[in-house]
Amino acid sequence: MNLRLIWVMLSCGLLAACAGTTVVLVPDAGGKVGEVDLTTKGGTTHLDKANDSAAADKAEQAPTKAVHLSDEKIKDMFAETLAKEPIPPARLRLYFSSGTDEFNAETQSEFDKVVAAIDLRKSCDMSVIGHSDTVGDNSSNKELSLKRADKVAKALIGLGVKKDCMDMRYYGENDPAVPTADNVDEPKNRRVEVEVR
Amino acid sequence: MILKRKQYATQPTLFLVALMLFSSIAMATERIGLVKTYQPLATAVRNGAEVKLAEGSDIFEGDTIVTDSDGAVGIIFSDGAVLTLGPSGKLIVEEFLFKPADKNVSFLSRVVKGSVAFVSGAIGRISPGSVKFITPTATLGLRGTKILIEVE
Repeated sequence: MNLRLIWVMLSCGLLAACAGTTVVLVPDAGGKVGEVDLTTKGGTTHLDKANDSAAADKAEQAPTKAVHLSDEKIKDMFAETLAKEPIPPARLRLYFSSGTDEFNAETQSEFDKVVAAIDLRKSCDMSVIGHSDTVGDNSSNKELSLKRADKVAKALIGLGVKKDCMDMRYYGENDPAVPTADNVDEPKNRRVEVEVR
Repeated sequence: MILKRKQYATQPTLFLVALMLFSSIAMATERIGLVKTYQPLATAVRNGAEVKLAEGSDIFEGDTIVTDSDGAVGIIFSDGAVLTLGPSGKLIVEEFLFKPADKNVSFLSRVVKGSVAFVSGAIGRISPGSVKFITPTATLGLRGTKILIEVE
């Protein structure tokens, strides 16, 4: 609490953030840095670099320009919030052979990872999401992606996962991992994704 | 578009059941996230009534999440987004629309006060720009992935 107070006092000088909104862009758990726009009636500040920060003191004024903050400063400012962050969701992919709902040989070890991800999070909240490649027509691919998702869901139930903890979605060829032309046999697109939250 | 496991039964009817559900899911009663971590006291104000939050509590569209000076709460939304609200915070989940098959998605929250850590999920991946926060002085438009927000 004290550190935060000191930070707020410091930031009044640095960022003029005493009464307003401060935003900091930080890398996610995978190291990826996105982008954020901070907009008031007075203008917009665009942030696209790790640890860049801007503040909007008053709605009528333009936000401050981007300022780079050290990791220590960010930790001080957001310590109590960052300490309560949930474990990020896990996303695992199970692959299938062409035109079928048969798992690839290496899929078994991926199931072990799904179960480990569920145990780690004590999760009862996950999505099983079916996909296909672009071989064949759209509607049969939708059906195929549903069959694949159903197969994975049943396999997970066989491993002791409660079915009430799962929901299922399927997109056929409409949400490829690797975008391709129509009628392309792409192994990376013949998949079921399991998101464990 | 989200199909609960328990709501489907046999293979031949799967597709039909899915199509029927597709048009009949009532958004208002569907949970949009779950509380994963918390520290007392955190509450949600839902339809005017105060609801105590604990690990595993459901979160719904329209909920106002409130934490006291020692409280904090971490929520994972059904699109995989992770939101953590620190002490003395108040945040309203104004809109959460996640129909990825139609690319019909939106995630709008209002931060009244406090600090927030947010990591976007599928909504941000499907439609960059549809994840937004409103604060008393500004609007934040996020195009992936992680931001920290402080509203004094």
